Amino acid sequence: MNYRNVATIAAKDMGIVLTRRSVRLSLVLLPLGVAIGLPQVARFAGGGIPAGLLPGFLTAFLFFFAVTAAMLPVAIASYSLVGEKVERSLEPLLATPATDGEILLGKGIAAFAPPIAAIWIGGVVFMALSDQETHARLGHAYFPNATALLILGVFVPLMAILSVEYSVLVSARSTDVRAAQQAGTLILLPAAALYVLAEIGAVTLDPATLAVAAGILAGIDLAMAFASRATFRREEILTRWA
Amino acid sequence: MIEIEGLTRRFGEVTAVDGLTLTIGEGEVFGLLGPNGAGKTTTVRMLACLISRTAGQARIAGHCIGDAAAARKVRSLIGLMPEEPGLYPDLSAVKTLDFYGRLYRVPGAVRAERTERLLTLLGLWGRRDAQVKTYSKGMRQRLALARALIHDPPVLFLDEPTANLDPEGAKIVRDFLAELRNDKRTILLNTHLLEEANRICDRVGVLANRLVAVGSPAELRRSVWGSATVVRLAEVTGPVEEAARKAGSGDIGVAGNVLTVPVADPQRDNPELVRAIVEAGGQVQFVSESVPTLEEAYLRLIGGRR
Repeated sequence: MNYRNVATIAAKDMGIVLTRRSVRLSLVLLPLGVAIGLPQVARFAGGGIPAGLLPGFLTAFLFFFAVTAAMLPVAIASYSLVGEKVERSLEPLLATPATDGEILLGKGIAAFAPPIAAIWIGGVVFMALSDQETHARLGHAYFPNATALLILGVFVPLMAILSVEYSVLVSARSTDVRAAQQAGTLILLPAAALYVLAEIGAVTLDPATLAVAAGILAGIDLAMAFASRATFRREEILTRWA
Repeated sequence: MIEIEGLTRRFGEVTAVDGLTLTIGEGEVFGLLGPNGAGKTTTVRMLACLISRTAGQARIAGHCIGDAAAARKVRSLIGLMPEEPGLYPDLSAVKTLDFYGRLYRVPGAVRAERTERLLTLLGLWGRRDAQVKTYSKGMRQRLALARALIHDPPVLFLDEPTANLDPEGAKIVRDFLAELRNDKRTILLNTHLLEEANRICDRVGVLANRLVAVGSPAELRRSVWGSATVVRLAEVTGPVEEAARKAGSGDIGVAGNVLTVPVADPQRDNPELVRAIVEAGGQVQFVSESVPTLEEAYLRLIGGRR
């Protein structure tokens, strides 16, 4: 693996994708909306929530970033993969000495890094605002804690990786960026379901539950890594993707 | 530089390339002629290690194309210009060449120098920082050619480099290709434009899934038609026509006062032909060689296979 090739491809893809206004807006507005909006729920509706239930709500709110992590990479990966397919720029790229793995990893990093950075910034803002709103009622700062670390440090990256891998599979069958994005958003359903279950109290997002869920997600990521690697092969791309 | 032996590629039941055997020497410009679906692009893709082969073998500068370990090396030796330019619309020409130069590990200073030289030669330097999406089709094609050359490859694969270009754009690309001949670079040119092959290529091969014929454009023309002599007379009479038929080696053609006479060996047979016509009372005005076009030869070769 030549990491200079990986970095070159990732930098090029990020440079291209970030020139798109829709991508820039979704990278800024979605995490920031969650980061600022959800603490306001705690502010205005928090009074009606018993102090004992407040941590559960805050954790569930923070878990919404995992849903965001499933959503954002799809937008970038679709541009990066289907966009190249539409422009027919994959063939000259595949003709370079870069290996399939280097190209895939470069594109994966380009789809992974900006959303992760945006989500982590959003997560920090969310935790600071939430603490500000709930400190008086809880008597202490709820964030940061082990659960938050697991969600932002483990669950969010794993979800983003899954989103990128799923996008590769979807992109192989799409000839239109928007169609690929729409099909790609299906990947957020498991994370959204977990979020809803946590919100209604059917699931407790404690460190132990999150660790088990993260372990399962890591296994799915690994399986999807093999599937996306098998899909992203020169032969497949040039003979079946078109 | 390029040795191909029995190279075959099948897609399910369809055989795209069937037992291609060919050798292309160092510095040679070889044209692969054929209609759409003849297997030209598949051949280039196999040679560029982009797709696998079903059977056969090929070597580029001594490296086997089927060898996974050699694939990176083979690709670094090749400059590929696919039929579609395949450029990034949001990048400028300079950024495009910089990106590919990095992937081919061209040092920064060399990259910058080569970018300027290539863009200048191809008439794009003035628009070097404009986004590719603002370029005309011809400019994109030229940039794709510059991209194929950014790492100064000893082997160049050009797949229909002037397809869909207007005459002016096609001329710029063709003139540049003619200049590339002087670089001692091995060039495989896929084209269905026979005039292009005639002007640029040292040898051409006619591909219709199988290699139908190979040789210099002149050899190809002769191999199909043989030689013929055109004799212009003051008047073609019956005895003159009869004398020409006896002196020639096949059916003669008569068009007005012009006779076209097939001859086995022009140098040996033409004096005898002229003497026979004169003795039959013919008044010879001009004698010249009949030169069939490459297009005629190609159509006959392809027609025979379809």
